Amino acid sequence: MSHEPVDVLIIGAGASGAAIAWSLLETRMRILCLEQGGHLPDRDFPSRREDYELARYAEFSCDPNVRRQPQDYPINSNDSCITPVNWNGVGGSTINFLGHWPRMRPSDFRTRTLDGVGEDWPLDYHTLAPFYDMNDANTGVSGLAGNPAYPEYKPPLPPIPIGKLGQTLAQGFNKLGWHWWPSDVAILSEDRDGRQKCVNAGTCDLGCAAGAKGGTNFTYWPILENAGVELRTRSRVREILVDQRTGLASGVLYHGADGQLHEQKAEMVVVACNGIGTPRLLLNSRSGLFPEGLANRSGMVGKNLMFHPLIGVTGVFDEPMLGHEGPMACSILSQEFYESDPSRGFVRGYGLHSGRSTTPMTYALGGYGIDDPIPWGAAHREIMDEIYPYLAGLTIVSEDLPEEENCVTLDPELTDSDGIPAPKITYRLGENTRRMLEHGEARASEVLRAAGARRILSKGDGKVWWRAGWHQMGTCRMGNDPERSVVNSWGRSHDVKNLFIVDGSIFVTAGAVNPTSTIQALALYVGDRIKTNIANLFD
Amino acid sequence: MQSDIELLTAILDQLIPANPDRAIPGAGQLGLASGLIEATEPTLASAIRALLSEVRAQPGEVSPRLVSRLEKDRPEDFRQLLSAVYMAYYSRPDMREKLGVGAHPVHPKGYPVDREPPELMKRLTAPVRARGPIYRDPTGGAA
Repeated sequence: MSHEPVDVLIIGAGASGAAIAWSLLETRMRILCLEQGGHLPDRDFPSRREDYELARYAEFSCDPNVRRQPQDYPINSNDSCITPVNWNGVGGSTINFLGHWPRMRPSDFRTRTLDGVGEDWPLDYHTLAPFYDMNDANTGVSGLAGNPAYPEYKPPLPPIPIGKLGQTLAQGFNKLGWHWWPSDVAILSEDRDGRQKCVNAGTCDLGCAAGAKGGTNFTYWPILENAGVELRTRSRVREILVDQRTGLASGVLYHGADGQLHEQKAEMVVVACNGIGTPRLLLNSRSGLFPEGLANRSGMVGKNLMFHPLIGVTGVFDEPMLGHEGPMACSILSQEFYESDPSRGFVRGYGLHSGRSTTPMTYALGGYGIDDPIPWGAAHREIMDEIYPYLAGLTIVSEDLPEEENCVTLDPELTDSDGIPAPKITYRLGENTRRMLEHGEARASEVLRAAGARRILSKGDGKVWWRAGWHQMGTCRMGNDPERSVVNSWGRSHDVKNLFIVDGSIFVTAGAVNPTSTIQALALYVGDRIKTNIANLFD
Repeated sequence: MQSDIELLTAILDQLIPANPDRAIPGAGQLGLASGLIEATEPTLASAIRALLSEVRAQPGEVSPRLVSRLEKDRPEDFRQLLSAVYMAYYSRPDMREKLGVGAHPVHPKGYPVDREPPELMKRLTAPVRARGPIYRDPTGGAA
């Protein structure tokens, strides 16, 4: 292994790191990606085992604090009502994400102008649209064109089946005259590029052994490695180094697979470690020039952490809904309550996502992302025999607003296995979000009844799902004002001219949709701007 | 005196009772107790020891009432056991199948789900399309 300087050093082989590497391929620059995890071998996909559900509570948990694999870092979320979830390895969290692929909407980029909250993005939907299209083609996105919730675009593949459950719910939405549409998904409805179409296994969170789900381990990385991008796995970056004379990033220190600390020099550093890992790395990269953490002269690194707080409402129907068959989070999506309406008592909005139901063990233990086992005894028997097969549910996915108090800092004591300080999450639910979730809970119940549910199961306790921290955004946000943002309108640090950030941390607002399609579109956009500005990139 | 396995078997049958009408066995009948007794995970092993000791100190047979008391008096230990029982029981392919879920590993076979015919999707989405655009587009013109 050579430690010769490289042109581009990307930290993180997940959604955004892979996308920007692909964008920069044509420059013929020497690209190296350091990834703290490894490749996931085919034999390790739990869905090939008969007891596949057990993995969800052990080595394949979405929660790194449960998983505790050598490549994971612990996260202190004691001061949060939501704990972050992720995957560390080639593909990043696209390994265990659920593949739901809605785009952000035009209004999401102008929340300050339209609704007086958050901040406007320094770019807009139409600037990103070509990069959404490009990424959809690279990923193999399935969906139905003509969704009236968006400006016109056409997913490259036909939609996946919405199933009996989706058809039933769609009729409920139609009765009420509310919007719904088959979900856009990063899941193949047809064989494509050597990848097998979805077999409706229903366990997307356990990795997709078929390669139908658009994890970058199946989409971008095979192309990138064939094209000569060096992917150095089991390599955990400790800090980004800065030339104290020029103020430019000079490379990184990282713990390699050999257990040794190495220095890797680079002309340009791209951080792609997600909304928790990226601020953690920058805050751990302190120097004389940046005593409060790299690229943090604004003091905004780690601030404005946004999730998508979730609650679920479930209906019990007369016929089996077969909810375990098909992609687990993706059937139909309603955006009826997405845009602001002052009469509702909150600003911005939410989506009603029809996930499918889950497998028996997960249901008995409280559901995906929840640790709250169902009752034992006679009630248990009744629930599993008379309710479980007949379930169809809706998840209320709310837009979180940026608040500086919600943040990522460094834990003073907790570290990973290399002794690197771990992140600490401080997060509380905003009042606007609470009202939104209450509204959504009532609307979800209404539409489930309209669809024919004979009984509604809703906890109504105001508690959001604990393991709902899939979407980590806002902690190194973009902006034109260096006092109020960390990176500029194309992902370059205001403070360090050869340092770029491309993951969800650069989001300015969260929208109320799953973020990965936007994360990758942004990464492709940043790559495009780097290529356009290559002659005077660091000026 | 009942052995640990016999006692735990009786508790497990209270936690997940049988449904004889559908030939679904209880968790005790399924023989899960021996595996749980041999659990090496320290928290679970300690929880089971504590619960069995508590049951032995009570008069009478294992009943729903006694198990409710365990849940009340030793909530953390009880929760450990309950989660472990649910995992052991529902990780069994044969139990999954009794609830209508495939016994097979979900890859490579998965489940056959037909894609809806285009005419069905067209009919279902017709009212949504008929209402027209519902987004605000501040930079690209109002929809």
